[in-house]
Amino acid sequence: MNQMELDTTQLLKGVLDLAVLAVLADADSYGYDVVRRLRENGLDHVGDASVYGTLRRLYQAGALNSYVVPSDEGPHRKYYGLNNRGRKALDQSAQNWASFSKALNHLLNGRSNGHGK
Amino acid sequence: MASNEQASDVATYAASVRAALSDLPSDQSEMLLEDLEDHLREIAAEAGGPLTERLGSPEQYAQELRAAYGASRASASRPDPALRDLRQAVGWVTGSAWYRQVRAFLPELRPAWWVLRAYLAVLILTAALSPGYNLGPIPNPTTKRGLAEILVTGFAIWLSVRIGRRNRPLPQPARVLAVSANVLIAFVAVVILGNMRSFTYSEIIGTASPEQPPFAAAFAAGPSTNIYPYSQDGKPLTNVLLYDQDGRPITVQQSEAQTIYPIGADGKAITNAYPLTQRHLNGDLVVAPRVAFPPWPTPSATPSPSATASPTASPSPRR
Repeated sequence: MNQMELDTTQLLKGVLDLAVLAVLADADSYGYDVVRRLRENGLDHVGDASVYGTLRRLYQAGALNSYVVPSDEGPHRKYYGLNNRGRKALDQSAQNWASFSKALNHLLNGRSNGHGK
Repeated sequence: MASNEQASDVATYAASVRAALSDLPSDQSEMLLEDLEDHLREIAAEAGGPLTERLGSPEQYAQELRAAYGASRASASRPDPALRDLRQAVGWVTGSAWYRQVRAFLPELRPAWWVLRAYLAVLILTAALSPGYNLGPIPNPTTKRGLAEILVTGFAIWLSVRIGRRNRPLPQPARVLAVSANVLIAFVAVVILGNMRSFTYSEIIGTASPEQPPFAAAFAAGPSTNIYPYSQDGKPLTNVLLYDQDGRPITVQQSEAQTIYPIGADGKAITNAYPLTQRHLNGDLVVAPRVAFPPWPTPSATPSPSATASPTASPSPRR
Protein backbone atom coordinates (compact mmCIF):
# COMPACT_ATOMS: atom_id res chain seq x y z
CA MET A 1 0.00 0.00 0.00
CA ASN A 2 1.68 3.18 -1.13
CA GLN A 3 1.30 6.71 0.12
CA MET A 4 -1.26 7.73 -2.50
CA GLU A 5 -3.61 4.86 -1.73
CA LEU A 6 -3.43 5.62 1.93
CA ASP A 7 -4.53 9.16 1.17
CA THR A 8 -7.46 8.00 -0.90
CA THR A 9 -8.47 5.72 1.91
CA GLN A 10 -8.28 8.62 4.32
CA LEU A 11 -10.41 10.76 2.05
CA LEU A 12 -12.95 8.02 1.55
CA LYS A 13 -13.43 7.64 5.26
CA GLY A 14 -14.95 11.08 5.52
CA VAL A 15 -17.28 10.80 2.57
CA LEU A 16 -18.19 7.13 2.45
CA ASP A 17 -21.52 7.77 4.17
CA LEU A 18 -22.37 10.29 1.51
CA ALA A 19 -21.25 8.00 -1.30
CA VAL A 20 -23.26 5.07 0.03
CA LEU A 21 -26.35 7.22 0.53
CA ALA A 22 -25.97 8.54 -3.02
CA VAL A 23 -25.78 5.03 -4.45
CA LEU A 24 -28.87 3.96 -2.51
CA ALA A 25 -30.74 7.09 -3.62
CA ASP A 26 -30.37 5.72 -7.14
CA ALA A 27 -31.85 2.36 -6.33
CA ASP A 28 -32.19 -0.04 -3.41
CA SER A 29 -29.23 -2.31 -3.26
CA TYR A 30 -27.41 -5.03 -1.31
CA GLY A 31 -23.92 -4.90 0.16
CA TYR A 32 -21.86 -6.38 -2.61
CA ASP A 33 -23.77 -4.45 -5.25
CA VAL A 34 -23.14 -1.18 -3.41
CA VAL A 35 -19.42 -1.91 -3.45
CA ARG A 36 -19.54 -2.67 -7.15
CA ARG A 37 -21.44 0.48 -8.01
CA LEU A 38 -19.08 2.64 -5.97
CA ARG A 39 -16.15 1.12 -7.84
CA GLU A 40 -17.86 1.56 -11.18
CA ASN A 41 -18.18 5.23 -10.33
CA GLY A 42 -14.45 5.57 -9.85
CA LEU A 43 -14.06 4.93 -6.12
CA ASP A 44 -11.64 2.07 -6.78
CA HIS A 45 -10.21 1.93 -3.32
CA VAL A 46 -13.42 1.50 -1.43
CA GLY A 47 -13.06 -1.45 0.92
CA ASP A 48 -15.71 -4.12 1.17
CA ALA A 49 -15.64 -4.11 4.94
CA SER A 50 -15.93 -0.33 5.02
CA VAL A 51 -19.07 -0.42 2.91
CA TYR A 52 -20.56 -3.28 4.86
CA GLY A 53 -19.79 -1.54 8.15
CA THR A 54 -21.18 1.75 6.87
CA LEU A 55 -24.40 0.10 5.71
CA ARG A 56 -24.84 -1.49 9.11
CA ARG A 57 -24.16 1.78 10.89
CA LEU A 58 -26.53 3.83 8.71
CA TYR A 59 -29.18 1.17 9.19
CA GLN A 60 -28.54 1.25 12.90
CA ALA A 61 -28.87 5.03 12.89
CA GLY A 62 -32.29 4.73 11.25
CA ALA A 63 -31.32 6.20 7.88
CA LEU A 64 -32.03 3.00 5.93
CA ASN A 65 -34.71 0.42 5.73
CA SER A 66 -33.83 -3.13 4.91
CA TYR A 67 -35.49 -6.22 3.52
CA VAL A 68 -34.37 -9.67 2.50
CA VAL A 69 -34.84 -10.95 -1.01
CA PRO A 70 -34.62 -14.73 -1.14
CA SER A 71 -33.01 -16.25 -4.16
CA ASP A 72 -33.13 -19.83 -5.38
CA GLU A 73 -29.57 -20.31 -6.55
CA GLY A 74 -27.56 -17.76 -4.56
CA PRO A 75 -27.62 -16.63 -0.93
CA HIS A 76 -30.37 -14.41 0.43
CA ARG A 77 -29.73 -10.76 -0.30
CA LYS A 78 -30.28 -8.07 2.25
CA TYR A 79 -31.38 -5.00 0.37
CA TYR A 80 -31.02 -1.53 1.81
CA GLY A 81 -32.91 1.56 0.75
CA LEU A 82 -33.22 5.16 1.88
CA ASN A 83 -36.07 6.16 4.13
CA ASN A 84 -37.10 9.76 4.81
CA ARG A 85 -34.40 10.19 7.37
CA GLY A 86 -31.83 8.84 4.95
CA ARG A 87 -32.97 11.15 2.20
CA LYS A 88 -32.72 14.15 4.54
CA ALA A 89 -29.26 13.02 5.64
CA LEU A 90 -28.23 12.70 2.00
CA ASP A 91 -29.51 16.21 1.14
CA GLN A 92 -27.75 17.72 4.11
CA SER A 93 -24.51 15.85 3.47
CA ALA A 94 -24.62 16.71 -0.22
CA GLN A 95 -24.90 20.40 0.61
CA ASN A 96 -22.05 20.13 3.09
CA TRP A 97 -19.94 18.35 0.52
CA ALA A 98 -20.72 20.90 -2.17
CA SER A 99 -19.61 23.84 -0.04
CA PHE A 100 -16.63 21.90 1.28
CA SER A 101 -15.38 20.85 -2.13
CA LYS A 102 -16.01 24.33 -3.51
CA ALA A 103 -13.87 25.80 -0.77
CA LEU A 104 -11.16 23.24 -1.29
CA ASN A 105 -11.19 23.57 -5.07
CA HIS A 106 -10.95 27.30 -4.68
CA LEU A 107 -8.00 26.86 -2.39
CA LEU A 108 -6.27 24.42 -4.72
CA ASN A 109 -6.94 26.50 -7.83
CA GLY A 110 -5.58 29.59 -6.13
CA ARG A 111 -2.46 27.70 -5.17
CA SER A 112 -1.84 26.23 -8.63
CA ASN A 113 -2.58 29.61 -10.26
CA GLY A 114 -0.11 31.27 -7.96
CA HIS A 115 2.55 28.72 -8.89
CA GLY A 116 1.74 28.96 -12.59
CA LYS A 117 2.48 32.66 -12.75
CA MET B 1 -18.40 -29.43 -4.59
CA ALA B 2 -17.31 -25.90 -5.45
CA SER B 3 -20.24 -24.48 -3.50
CA ASN B 4 -19.32 -26.67 -0.51
CA GLU B 5 -15.79 -25.32 -0.61
CA GLN B 6 -17.15 -21.81 -0.81
CA ALA B 7 -19.46 -22.41 2.11
CA SER B 8 -16.60 -23.64 4.27
CA ASP B 9 -14.44 -20.73 3.17
CA VAL B 10 -17.21 -18.31 4.16
CA ALA B 11 -17.74 -20.03 7.50
CA THR B 12 -14.03 -19.98 8.28
CA TYR B 13 -13.61 -16.38 7.27
CA ALA B 14 -16.68 -15.22 9.17
CA ALA B 15 -15.56 -17.09 12.27
CA SER B 16 -12.17 -15.39 12.14
CA VAL B 17 -13.78 -11.95 11.72
CA ARG B 18 -16.07 -12.63 14.66
CA ALA B 19 -13.11 -13.76 16.74
CA ALA B 20 -11.27 -10.55 15.92
CA LEU B 21 -14.29 -8.52 17.02
CA SER B 22 -15.03 -10.58 20.09
CA ASP B 23 -14.20 -7.64 22.36
CA LEU B 24 -17.21 -5.66 21.13
CA PRO B 25 -20.25 -5.62 23.41
CA SER B 26 -22.51 -8.44 22.31
CA ASP B 27 -25.41 -6.21 21.24
CA GLN B 28 -23.10 -4.13 19.10
CA SER B 29 -21.34 -7.05 17.48
CA GLU B 30 -24.66 -8.75 16.84
CA MET B 31 -25.98 -5.67 15.07
CA LEU B 32 -22.82 -5.35 13.07
CA LEU B 33 -22.28 -9.00 12.14
CA GLU B 34 -25.90 -10.06 11.77
CA ASP B 35 -25.75 -10.74 8.05
CA LEU B 36 -22.00 -11.05 7.60
CA GLU B 37 -22.28 -14.62 6.29
CA ASP B 38 -24.87 -13.67 3.67
CA HIS B 39 -22.70 -10.81 2.59
CA LEU B 40 -19.56 -12.95 2.35
CA ARG B 41 -21.48 -15.63 0.49
CA GLU B 42 -22.51 -13.03 -2.03
CA ILE B 43 -18.92 -12.01 -2.55
CA ALA B 44 -17.73 -15.60 -2.76
CA ALA B 45 -20.43 -16.40 -5.30
CA GLU B 46 -19.78 -13.39 -7.52
CA ALA B 47 -16.07 -12.94 -7.18
CA GLY B 48 -14.87 -16.55 -7.04
CA GLY B 49 -11.56 -17.60 -5.51
CA PRO B 50 -10.72 -17.64 -1.81
CA LEU B 51 -12.06 -14.77 0.26
CA THR B 52 -8.65 -13.89 1.68
CA GLU B 53 -7.47 -13.14 -1.84
CA ARG B 54 -10.40 -10.86 -2.40
CA LEU B 55 -10.77 -9.20 1.00
CA GLY B 56 -7.41 -9.55 2.71
CA SER B 57 -6.99 -11.29 6.03
CA PRO B 58 -10.03 -11.63 8.28
CA GLU B 59 -8.20 -9.56 10.90
CA GLN B 60 -7.74 -6.68 8.46
CA TYR B 61 -11.33 -7.00 7.40
CA ALA B 62 -12.47 -6.88 11.01
CA GLN B 63 -10.31 -3.83 11.60
CA GLU B 64 -11.86 -2.01 8.65
CA LEU B 65 -15.32 -3.05 9.72
CA ARG B 66 -14.71 -1.76 13.20
CA ALA B 67 -13.55 1.60 11.87
CA ALA B 68 -16.42 1.98 9.41
CA TYR B 69 -19.00 1.03 11.98
CA GLY B 70 -17.55 3.51 14.39
CA ALA B 71 -17.01 1.01 17.16
CA SER B 72 -14.09 1.58 19.40
CA ARG B 73 -11.60 -1.04 20.40
CA ALA B 74 -12.15 -0.41 24.06
CA SER B 75 -15.65 -1.56 24.83
CA ALA B 76 -17.91 0.29 27.24
CA SER B 77 -17.65 -2.35 29.91
CA ARG B 78 -13.95 -2.98 30.35
CA PRO B 79 -13.37 -6.70 30.73
CA ASP B 80 -11.13 -7.83 33.55
CA PRO B 81 -7.54 -8.74 32.62
CA ALA B 82 -8.02 -12.49 32.99
CA LEU B 83 -10.88 -12.43 30.52
CA ARG B 84 -8.85 -10.29 28.17
CA ASP B 85 -5.94 -12.71 28.36
CA LEU B 86 -8.29 -15.58 27.66
CA ARG B 87 -9.71 -13.75 24.66
CA GLN B 88 -6.22 -13.04 23.46
CA ALA B 89 -5.32 -16.71 23.79
CA VAL B 90 -8.48 -17.75 21.96
CA GLY B 91 -7.78 -15.16 19.30
CA TRP B 92 -4.23 -16.42 18.97
CA VAL B 93 -5.41 -20.00 18.48
CA THR B 94 -8.23 -19.14 16.11
CA GLY B 95 -5.95 -16.83 14.18
CA SER B 96 -3.22 -19.37 13.65
CA ALA B 97 -2.71 -21.00 10.28
CA TRP B 98 -3.12 -24.56 11.50
CA TYR B 99 -6.42 -23.73 13.18
CA ARG B 100 -7.67 -22.28 9.95
CA GLN B 101 -6.51 -25.34 8.05
CA VAL B 102 -8.23 -27.69 10.47
CA ARG B 103 -11.31 -25.49 10.49
CA ALA B 104 -11.37 -25.48 6.71
CA PHE B 105 -10.91 -29.25 6.52
CA LEU B 106 -13.61 -30.17 9.03
CA PRO B 107 -16.53 -29.36 6.72
CA GLU B 108 -15.20 -31.96 4.29
CA LEU B 109 -15.96 -34.59 6.91
CA ARG B 110 -19.61 -33.56 6.99
CA PRO B 111 -20.93 -36.21 4.58
CA ALA B 112 -19.19 -38.90 6.65
CA TRP B 113 -20.96 -37.62 9.73
CA TRP B 114 -24.30 -37.60 7.92
CA VAL B 115 -23.92 -41.33 7.27
CA LEU B 116 -22.55 -42.07 10.72
CA ARG B 117 -25.27 -40.18 12.57
CA ALA B 118 -27.97 -42.08 10.69
CA TYR B 119 -26.39 -45.37 11.69
CA LEU B 120 -26.00 -44.21 15.29
CA ALA B 121 -29.57 -42.90 15.44
CA VAL B 122 -30.94 -46.29 14.39
CA LEU B 123 -28.64 -47.95 16.91
CA ILE B 124 -30.00 -45.70 19.65
CA LEU B 125 -33.54 -46.37 18.53
CA THR B 126 -32.99 -50.13 18.55
CA ALA B 127 -31.44 -49.99 21.99
CA ALA B 128 -34.30 -47.85 23.29
CA LEU B 129 -37.08 -49.96 21.81
CA SER B 130 -35.75 -53.36 22.83
CA PRO B 131 -33.99 -53.52 26.16
CA GLY B 132 -32.17 -56.79 26.57
CA TYR B 133 -31.91 -57.37 22.85
CA ASN B 134 -28.41 -58.50 22.09
CA LEU B 135 -27.29 -55.41 20.24
CA GLY B 136 -24.34 -55.85 17.89
CA PRO B 137 -22.41 -53.21 16.00
CA ILE B 138 -23.52 -54.83 12.76
CA PRO B 139 -27.07 -56.22 12.58
CA ASN B 140 -27.33 -59.86 11.65
CA PRO B 141 -28.94 -59.92 8.18
CA THR B 142 -30.10 -63.53 8.55
CA THR B 143 -32.60 -62.60 11.25
CA LYS B 144 -35.81 -60.75 10.49
CA ARG B 145 -34.95 -58.16 13.07
CA GLY B 146 -31.42 -57.56 11.78
CA LEU B 147 -32.71 -57.24 8.26
CA ALA B 148 -35.25 -54.67 9.42
CA GLU B 149 -32.47 -52.81 11.20
CA ILE B 150 -30.37 -52.72 8.03
CA LEU B 151 -33.29 -51.47 5.94
CA VAL B 152 -34.15 -48.78 8.47
CA THR B 153 -30.49 -47.75 8.62
CA GLY B 154 -30.40 -47.44 4.85
CA PHE B 155 -33.46 -45.23 4.89
CA ALA B 156 -32.07 -43.15 7.76
CA ILE B 157 -28.83 -42.58 5.85
CA TRP B 158 -30.75 -41.42 2.81
CA LEU B 159 -32.80 -39.07 4.97
CA SER B 160 -29.81 -37.78 6.93
CA VAL B 161 -27.81 -37.03 3.79
CA ARG B 162 -30.83 -35.28 2.31
CA ILE B 163 -31.13 -33.13 5.43
CA GLY B 164 -27.41 -32.47 5.40
CA ARG B 165 -27.36 -31.38 1.78
CA ARG B 166 -30.20 -28.90 2.25
CA ASN B 167 -28.04 -25.92 1.43
CA ARG B 168 -30.01 -23.37 3.38
CA PRO B 169 -29.03 -21.82 6.69
CA LEU B 170 -31.44 -22.42 9.55
CA PRO B 171 -32.76 -19.59 11.69
CA GLN B 172 -30.91 -19.20 14.96
CA PRO B 173 -33.17 -21.21 17.36
CA ALA B 174 -33.51 -24.08 14.89
CA ARG B 175 -29.77 -24.14 14.35
CA VAL B 176 -29.12 -24.45 18.08
CA LEU B 177 -31.65 -27.26 18.21
CA ALA B 178 -30.06 -29.06 15.27
CA VAL B 179 -26.57 -28.81 16.73
CA SER B 180 -27.81 -30.07 20.11
CA ALA B 181 -29.50 -33.02 18.41
CA ASN B 182 -26.27 -33.95 16.65
CA VAL B 183 -24.27 -33.70 19.86
CA LEU B 184 -26.90 -35.76 21.69
CA ILE B 185 -26.79 -38.52 19.06
CA ALA B 186 -23.01 -38.66 19.31
CA PHE B 187 -23.05 -38.70 23.11
CA VAL B 188 -25.80 -41.31 23.59
CA ALA B 189 -24.28 -43.50 20.88
CA VAL B 190 -20.92 -43.47 22.64
CA VAL B 191 -22.63 -44.69 25.82
CA ILE B 192 -24.48 -47.45 23.96
CA LEU B 193 -21.40 -48.53 22.03
CA GLY B 194 -19.45 -48.58 25.26
CA ASN B 195 -21.98 -50.91 26.86
CA MET B 196 -22.14 -53.15 23.82
CA ARG B 197 -20.42 -56.46 24.18
CA SER B 198 -17.25 -56.23 22.22
CA PHE B 199 -18.35 -59.00 19.87
CA THR B 200 -20.63 -61.99 19.85
CA TYR B 201 -17.41 -63.99 19.65
CA SER B 202 -17.63 -64.65 23.38
CA GLU B 203 -20.92 -66.35 22.69
CA ILE B 204 -19.51 -68.62 20.04
CA ILE B 205 -16.65 -69.95 22.14
CA GLY B 206 -18.78 -70.07 25.26
CA THR B 207 -17.22 -69.20 28.56
CA ALA B 208 -14.64 -71.93 28.39
CA SER B 209 -12.13 -71.48 31.14
CA PRO B 210 -8.50 -72.46 30.55
CA GLU B 211 -8.64 -75.70 32.59
CA GLN B 212 -11.54 -76.95 30.54
CA PRO B 213 -10.61 -78.37 27.18
CA PRO B 214 -11.88 -76.38 24.21
CA PHE B 215 -14.19 -79.26 23.41
CA ALA B 216 -16.70 -77.66 25.68
CA ALA B 217 -16.77 -74.76 23.33
CA ALA B 218 -17.51 -76.53 20.12
CA PHE B 219 -21.23 -75.86 20.12
CA ALA B 220 -22.43 -72.47 19.01
CA ALA B 221 -25.88 -73.12 20.42
CA GLY B 222 -24.49 -72.91 23.95
CA PRO B 223 -22.12 -74.84 26.11
CA SER B 224 -22.57 -78.59 26.43
CA THR B 225 -23.23 -79.69 29.96
CA ASN B 226 -23.54 -83.41 29.38
CA ILE B 227 -22.99 -86.00 26.64
CA TYR B 228 -25.43 -88.81 25.89
CA PRO B 229 -23.79 -91.58 23.89
CA TYR B 230 -25.90 -94.07 21.95
CA SER B 231 -25.02 -97.21 20.13
CA GLN B 232 -25.50 -97.35 16.40
CA ASP B 233 -28.89 -99.02 16.83
CA GLY B 234 -30.02 -96.28 19.22
CA LYS B 235 -29.51 -97.91 22.61
CA PRO B 236 -28.37 -95.49 25.31
CA LEU B 237 -24.86 -96.29 26.55
CA THR B 238 -23.67 -95.70 30.06
CA ASN B 239 -20.26 -94.91 31.52
CA VAL B 240 -18.66 -94.24 28.17
CA LEU B 241 -15.17 -92.83 28.76
CA LEU B 242 -14.18 -90.08 26.39
CA TYR B 243 -10.62 -88.91 25.66
CA ASP B 244 -9.26 -86.37 23.27
CA GLN B 245 -6.43 -86.80 20.75
CA ASP B 246 -3.84 -86.28 23.48
CA GLY B 247 -5.39 -88.79 25.79
CA ARG B 248 -6.84 -86.22 28.14
CA PRO B 249 -10.22 -86.98 29.64
CA ILE B 250 -12.90 -84.89 27.95
CA THR B 251 -15.03 -82.92 30.36
CA VAL B 252 -17.93 -80.59 29.75
CA GLN B 253 -19.17 -77.32 31.04
CA GLN B 254 -20.60 -77.24 34.53
CA SER B 255 -24.30 -76.57 34.48
CA GLU B 256 -26.42 -75.35 37.32
CA ALA B 257 -27.45 -78.96 37.84
CA GLN B 258 -25.30 -80.82 40.30
CA THR B 259 -23.12 -83.52 38.79
CA ILE B 260 -22.44 -86.73 40.70
CA TYR B 261 -19.17 -88.26 39.55
CA PRO B 262 -18.37 -91.89 40.21
CA ILE B 263 -15.40 -92.27 42.56
CA GLY B 264 -12.63 -94.56 41.33
CA ALA B 265 -10.75 -97.15 43.36
CA ASP B 266 -8.00 -94.57 43.87
CA GLY B 267 -10.51 -92.20 45.50
CA LYS B 268 -10.47 -89.75 42.60
CA ALA B 269 -13.61 -88.64 40.76
CA ILE B 270 -14.04 -89.99 37.27
CA THR B 271 -15.14 -86.93 35.34
CA ASN B 272 -15.33 -88.26 31.81
CA ALA B 273 -17.76 -91.14 32.12
CA TYR B 274 -20.82 -90.27 30.07
CA PRO B 275 -23.64 -89.60 30.42
CA LEU B 276 -22.94 -87.80 33.67
CA THR B 277 -25.41 -88.33 36.43
CA GLN B 278 -26.85 -84.96 37.25
CA ARG B 279 -29.43 -83.68 39.68
CA HIS B 280 -31.41 -80.47 39.49
CA LEU B 281 -31.22 -78.15 42.48
CA ASN B 282 -34.53 -79.57 43.71
CA GLY B 283 -32.99 -83.05 43.77
CA ASP B 284 -34.69 -84.49 40.66
CA LEU B 285 -32.49 -86.43 38.31
CA VAL B 286 -31.75 -84.77 34.99
CA VAL B 287 -33.37 -86.94 32.34
CA ALA B 288 -31.88 -87.67 28.97
CA PRO B 289 -33.12 -85.47 26.14
CA ARG B 290 -35.17 -86.85 23.27
CA VAL B 291 -32.91 -87.34 20.31
CA ALA B 292 -33.39 -88.04 16.64
CA PHE B 293 -31.13 -90.73 15.22
CA PRO B 294 -29.67 -90.34 11.77
CA PRO B 295 -30.86 -92.85 9.17
CA TRP B 296 -27.93 -95.13 8.47
CA PRO B 297 -27.19 -96.23 4.93
CA THR B 298 -28.85 -99.63 4.45
CA PRO B 299 -25.73 -101.85 3.79
CA SER B 300 -24.26 -101.22 7.25
CA ALA B 301 -27.55 -101.65 9.09
CA THR B 302 -26.28 -104.76 10.91
CA PRO B 303 -25.78 -103.97 14.58
CA SER B 304 -22.17 -104.04 15.58
CA PRO B 305 -21.29 -106.31 18.49
CA SER B 306 -19.17 -103.68 20.18
CA ALA B 307 -22.13 -101.42 20.74
CA THR B 308 -22.47 -101.95 24.46
CA ALA B 309 -19.78 -100.75 26.78
CA SER B 310 -18.96 -102.49 30.01
CA PRO B 311 -20.13 -100.37 32.90
CA THR B 312 -17.40 -101.73 35.12
CA ALA B 313 -14.51 -100.56 33.01
CA SER B 314 -12.18 -98.35 34.98
CA PRO B 315 -10.48 -95.35 33.31
CA SER B 316 -7.18 -96.38 31.82
CA PRO B 317 -5.94 -93.88 29.30
CA ARG B 318 -3.66 -95.38 26.72
CA ARG B 319 -0.23 -93.92 26.83
